Amino acid sequence: MSATDVYSAESGPNPQEALVKFTMLLGGVVFLLMMVFGLIMRVAQGDLISLDPEMFYLLLTAHGAGMVGSAALSGAAILWFFSARHLNLRSSIYIAFLGLFLAGVVLILGSIFIGGYGGAWTFLFPLPAMSGGLWEAWAGVMFCVGYLLIGVGFLLYYLELGLKIASRYNGLLGGLGWRYLFANNSTDVPPPTIVAASSVLVFNTIGIVFGAAVLAASIVNLLLPSFEVDPLLAKNAIYFFGHVFINATIYMAVTAVYEILPDYTGRPWKSTKLFIGAWAAVVIFVQAVYFHHLLQDVNMPAWTMAVGQVVSYASGVPLIGVTVFSLAVYIKGSGLKWDLPISLLTLGVVGWGLGSIPAMVDGMVSVNKLMHNTQWVPGHFHTYLLLGEVAMAFGFAAWLVRDKAVTTLSSLDRLVFRAYVFGGAGFVLVFLWSGASSIPRRWAVHYEQWQLQSQLASGFALIVVLATLVLVVRYVAGLARRSQ
Amino acid sequence: MQLSILLITLGLMGVAGWLILRAVWATEGPSAPKTINRTRSCFLWGMIAVGVVISVGSLREWPHTSAADDALIVNITSGQWWWETDTTEIPLGQQVEFRVTTEDVNHGLGIYDPDMNLVAQVQAMPSYTNKVVHTFDKAGQYQILCMEFCGIAHHDMTYDFEVLEQN
Ligand code: HEM
Ligand SMILES: [Cu+2]
Repeated sequence: MSATDVYSAESGPNPQEALVKFTMLLGGVVFLLMMVFGLIMRVAQGDLISLDPEMFYLLLTAHGAGMVGSAALSGAAILWFFSARHLNLRSSIYIAFLGLFLAGVVLILGSIFIGGYGGAWTFLFPLPAMSGGLWEAWAGVMFCVGYLLIGVGFLLYYLELGLKIASRYNGLLGGLGWRYLFANNSTDVPPPTIVAASSVLVFNTIGIVFGAAVLAASIVNLLLPSFEVDPLLAKNAIYFFGHVFINATIYMAVTAVYEILPDYTGRPWKSTKLFIGAWAAVVIFVQAVYFHHLLQDVNMPAWTMAVGQVVSYASGVPLIGVTVFSLAVYIKGSGLKWDLPISLLTLGVVGWGLGSIPAMVDGMVSVNKLMHNTQWVPGHFHTYLLLGEVAMAFGFAAWLVRDKAVTTLSSLDRLVFRAYVFGGAGFVLVFLWSGASSIPRRWAVHYEQWQLQSQLASGFALIVVLATLVLVVRYVAGLARRSQ
Repeated sequence: MQLSILLITLGLMGVAGWLILRAVWATEGPSAPKTINRTRSCFLWGMIAVGVVISVGSLREWPHTSAADDALIVNITSGQWWWETDTTEIPLGQQVEFRVTTEDVNHGLGIYDPDMNLVAQVQAMPSYTNKVVHTFDKAGQYQILCMEFCGIAHHDMTYDFEVLEQN
């Protein structure tokens, strides 16, 4: 950290701390609740309970939107917290962001559980308007408006970050570190968190704008069915938005690793040219890679599929070769003492890196022919979300309420951590196995020969849910202890 | 095929995970050697080289096969929640081009062999016709399963057809 930082660990409390703590509480509770929804779905697929398919698809919709939303919320809280170490951010903007976010959540929950909207979090056009009689147009509209509110909140959030970065680091190019990377100007090189913040705000703003456009088109279509949208164009916009948005959650959360790990290793995470170059690559790759969602849409030009495949692989290079590799180098021989926060944060990076491998494999056109929309897909994204972003979020939350006198893993912490890893790994591996067994994703009812896998997965999921329950309780207890 | 994909993937994940954990667990041992940046450069270039080989190798022959002149054309229409085809009997060993569309929302044509392995798929999209070419090399009862979420009866959207040995 340079001397001009507005805040540093030594100079007093982070001005955003209370808001961020509150956000992490919300995020943690919603993660837990959504995991219970997930468990119910998996148990239903295993035919251990009988669940009305309609209810299954409502839970699926809520789980998808709720998990992506909580990942985004927790990632945003983390990024805000650490950006405030380097920038003078206005709390009022964050409060507006949070308010819009919660208003959006209320609409989305209402559309699902009151309106019966079960068109999945991806609202693939024209499904919201053609429910087959399951939900009315207003429920679809309400869902889309809920998303829009969240999008507006994020645009505000990124605008504030962008303004403050631009004025502090001499423009956004300064914040991205490109002045150092391309012009070799090494005065005022931004710290890793600012490089990440600048990059995410660039690509996620673009993503959200595309998302907003297709949401607006969907809303008009819901209200005026004669207004038609090209379904292939809509699908492009939706997956561009969806891919960018979900990836942004992890790219925001990883700043917790950049900022916290050095406290444990005594080795600052540095903005090297390689680091800045890797982020520059991410800005491009994360936008170009969404074509891998359309590899079975054979009316897409062939070059898009080649780009989708090649960039899927290329995205793994900065992730594994730079982020994961650096993590290993920073930790090796550092004398780091494992406690719960740093264990979870490390898990988050490792899970993210490993989860990219089945994603890269599925990004190949020939593999995708056999794996697309099977449970292989939830298999890889649960790896880098459940064992990635969410692990980072709970690691950050545990760090917020850490007891500075304790520098080791208590036996309860160790048990919880092991349960989370074991349950999570088992859960995602069964998904991959199920995908390889050709089991389609998003099926409320599983054939008998598929049920054993769903049952096994339910067992693993239960372990994850219990471990997460302890993590949430532990966080609440930590908050209570610190507020005394 | 799927089994090989699974095993290769798990192998890669296992090796990568083991390498990472070896470093991460060695907090008390020596730090990474001075040569680590060179090692990393080699690793990065290695990843890039492997990527070029895989990309060229797997895309040189375009994975979406196009149909030969004598392919049998089968038109498939779909909707919430049904499939309809020209024919339910397909000769063994005959190249088939499925032309798939839908009358309402997106669906996904997944072709399952008698052992319930997915052998080919393509999206079904309103106002588009999507083609997928496949040659059946095993006789028996096949099924179409819907691969794209399309509403409450998505999992009931199945259809049977037969692949018959020719006399
Ligand atoms: C105990 C933990 C969890 C369980 C038991 C669980 C379970 C499930 C199940 C059963 C599905 C549907 C699978 C199918 O398509 O057949 C699913 C989908 C999904 N899950 Fe999870 N999940 C968990 C954690 C998470 C986490 C932590 C995230 C993200 C932060 C997440 C995000 C999603 C998303 C985005 C979908 C896709 C929804 C859709 O297809 O529309 N899940 N999950
Ligand atoms: Cu369907």
